[in-house]
Amino acid sequence: MLPASGLSLSRRQFAGAMGAAAGTAAVAGCSSGSSKDMDTLQVWGGIPAESGPQAVIDRFQEEHPGTHVTYTRYVNDDRGNLTVNTALQGGVDIDVFFTYGVPNLTMRTNSGLAADVGDLVRATPELEAFLDTEDPKALIDGDEITALATTRIPQMVLFNEDLRERAGIELPTQWTVEEYLEVIRALADDGKYGTYVLPDIARIELGPNYRFTKDGNSNFSHPAFLKHFELAAELIRDGVLYPWSQALARQLEAYQQNNFIAQDFGLWTTAPYSLRFLTDQENYPHDFKVACAPVPTLDGNDWNTGEYGAFLQINSKSPKQDLAWEFCKFWLLESAQDVVKAGYISLLGDVGDDELLDGILGEGAEEFFDVDSFRRTLFEDQPRMHLDTELTAYTEITQKYQQQRDVCWLLERTPQKAIENVDSNAQALIDRFEED
Amino acid sequence: MAIVDTRIETADGPAAAAGGRLRRPTGRAPSEPKAYVGWLFIAPNLLGVLAFTFVPLISVVLLSFTRWNLVSGFGGIEFVGLDNFLAVFQDPTFWRSLVTTIVYAGVAVPLTLVVGLALALALNRDIPARGLLRAAFFVPYIVNIVAIGMTWQMLLDPEAGLVNQVLGVFGAENLPQWFASSNWALPALILVTIWSQAGYANLIYLSALQDAPTQLYEAARIDGAGRWASFRTITWPSLLPTTVFLLVTLFVGISQTFGMIALITNGGPGDSTTTLSFYMYQTSFQFYRFGYASAVGLVTFIGIFAIMLLMWRAQRGRALHD
Repeated sequence: MLPASGLSLSRRQFAGAMGAAAGTAAVAGCSSGSSKDMDTLQVWGGIPAESGPQAVIDRFQEEHPGTHVTYTRYVNDDRGNLTVNTALQGGVDIDVFFTYGVPNLTMRTNSGLAADVGDLVRATPELEAFLDTEDPKALIDGDEITALATTRIPQMVLFNEDLRERAGIELPTQWTVEEYLEVIRALADDGKYGTYVLPDIARIELGPNYRFTKDGNSNFSHPAFLKHFELAAELIRDGVLYPWSQALARQLEAYQQNNFIAQDFGLWTTAPYSLRFLTDQENYPHDFKVACAPVPTLDGNDWNTGEYGAFLQINSKSPKQDLAWEFCKFWLLESAQDVVKAGYISLLGDVGDDELLDGILGEGAEEFFDVDSFRRTLFEDQPRMHLDTELTAYTEITQKYQQQRDVCWLLERTPQKAIENVDSNAQALIDRFEED
Repeated sequence: MAIVDTRIETADGPAAAAGGRLRRPTGRAPSEPKAYVGWLFIAPNLLGVLAFTFVPLISVVLLSFTRWNLVSGFGGIEFVGLDNFLAVFQDPTFWRSLVTTIVYAGVAVPLTLVVGLALALALNRDIPARGLLRAAFFVPYIVNIVAIGMTWQMLLDPEAGLVNQVLGVFGAENLPQWFASSNWALPALILVTIWSQAGYANLIYLSALQDAPTQLYEAARIDGAGRWASFRTITWPSLLPTTVFLLVTLFVGISQTFGMIALITNGGPGDSTTTLSFYMYQTSFQFYRFGYASAVGLVTFIGIFAIMLLMWRAQRGRALHD
C-alpha cells in the first residue's frame, strides 16, 4: 500500500513521473509558437550570407533605421527545398524567400504561399521590366505577379587559352553549332577531351517551353532532341566528349570545374557563377588564361541556354507585407554590386557593366582572363534567355529525360530509342497530370 | 532460495493481477505497485512509438486516398478515392521498381545467408585469431553507410577502381562498368549489400551454431555419419528457425534499402537501381506527390508483409526442434 502522503514518492514513481514529464515536454516542444517581431524581417535564401546577401542587408538596415533583417541560408537541393516548404507551410516566421528552379516556383505559388505583388510592381516604374509578358522575367498570371527574377544566368563557353592556342583555333565571337563541333574535335587530342558536355542544342533552337508543343503535348519528337542525343553519343564514342561513364561513376555533374582546371578538356559551357572557382587561385590553382565565347547558334536560332533565376517571393502569410516589399524593391534595384561577387548578374540595377565585370572576374582579372571576351559575351551581345512557363509534370519529365540521356550516352541504348522513350513517357505524364 | 508465487490483488482489481508476478521476498514490507506507475515508465517510449510509428502509419493509409503536395497545407488535401491505387497499378515505373526490388532482395538475401553461414561454419571451428576474425567480419555491418558508399564507389570505378585494375592484371577484357552501366549497377549494388550484411548473418548463425545439440553430433558420429550428412541432417535443420528469422529480417531490411541507392546510384543509370523505396522517395520528396507516394508505400507494405507471412508459414514444422 502506498503511503497516504502525496508528497512521498517512491523512486519508481519519481522516475515514472520524470519520464512522463520528459515525454510531455518533448511533444510540447514540437509545436513551438514564435512571436513575430514586426521590425525584424526574416529572409531565406540559397546564397551564403557572406557572398553578398549580408552586404545587401547591411545597406538596407542603414537606410531603414530601426529595422532588422535576419538572413537564413538554405542549401538549394531537394532536402533544402523541403526544409523551406515545410517551414513555409508550418508557419515559421519567414517574410521573404528566394526560390530557385521553376518547379519549386510553381508549386509554392500554386499553393498560395506567395503574395501577389502585381499592383506594387505596376506602381513602381523602375520595375517595368517585370510586366513584359513576351520575355517574362516574373511569374505572371493575368494581373497577378507572385515571383520576380533577380538575376540573369546566361550560359557562356569558356576556353582554356593554352589549349586553344595549341590547337590553332581562333577565339569565336559568333559561331554556329557546326563550327563549335569542329572546334571541340580539334581540341580533343593528346589525351584531352574537347569538352564535358554539349550545350543543349534543342534549347538553342526552340527556346522557352521547348518540351511542349503549342497545344501542350510532348515535343520530344522534334528532331532537335534526337539531334542532341545523336551528336553527343557520336562524340562520346569518338573520344571528343568526356566519357559519360566516368562522369556518372564519379558523380562529376557538380564538379566539372575540377576537370576544367585539371585541363582534362579545353572548352566548358557554364554560367558566371562558376567563375568563382577560376578566381580562387588558392583552392583551384591554375596557370592558364580563360577566354569567353557565346553559346553557338543553330540554323539562325540563337536562344542562350541560360535562364532568369533566383526568384524573390513574399510569404502571403507575412504580417509585414509593406516592409517585405521595401526589402524586395531594395534587393531588385540596389543589390547588384553586392551579389556579383557570387557570380550573380542582377537583372536590374544601376551598376555599370565594367563594375559587374570587375566583380565577377575578381582582382587581377587581366592575368587570368581575357576580360574583353567576357565583356563582349556577357554584356554587349545581350544573350537571349528564357523562362519556362509550361510546367506540367516538369520534374518528372526532367527525370525521365535524364534517365534516357544517361543510358544513351553510356552507349547502351540508341539515340532513336532513347528519345522515343522520353517522348512516350513525357506524353504519359502530361496526360496524367495535365489537370494539376 | 525458494521462489514464492505471490499473486496479489491490486487496487485495480483482480483482473489486473491475474497475470500474476513472481517476487522474491525482500524482508521489507511489500508495497502495492500501482498500474499507473508502470504506464508512467513506458510512457516516454510509448509516446515515441505512437508519434513516430503509428501516427505516420495511419497518415500513410489516409493520405493514400488523397492528392496532396505538402506545400498546400492540410487545407490542400483532396480526397480522390481509389485513384492513386488505380494509378499505381497502371504505372510502368512502379512495376519496373517492383521487379528491381524483387531481383535485388531476391538475389542479395539468399547470397547474404550463404556467405553468412559459410563464415559462421568456418569461424565456429577452432582456428587461430578466431575472435579477431569474428570481429573483422562484423565490422562492415556497423560501418557508416556514407563510408560504405564512397569506398565502393572508388573500388568499383570503371577506370581507376581497384577491382577492375585487379581483373585487368588477370587479363580480363571488357571489364564491367559497375555503377556506370545500367546492366551492371544492380549486380554491383547486390555485391555491396552482401558485403555489408553478411557480418550480421554470420553473427546470428554463430550464436545458433553454439546452441546446436552436441549429443546429436555425437550420436551421428557413432553411427558413421560424415560431415555432409551431419550438416544436412543435424546442423541445417537446427539452423532453420534462425535462417527463417534472418530471411525475414534481411528481406524486410534489404527490400527497403534507400541510403546506399541514394548515395551511390541515385536510382540509375536509367532507372536500373530504382527500387520501390527509392521510387517512393522520388515521388514524395522530389515530385511532391505525397498521396500517390503513400499509395505506393501501402501497396509495398502489404506486399512485403504477405511475403514475410509466406516465409514464416513455409518453415513451420520443418525445424529440428519442432
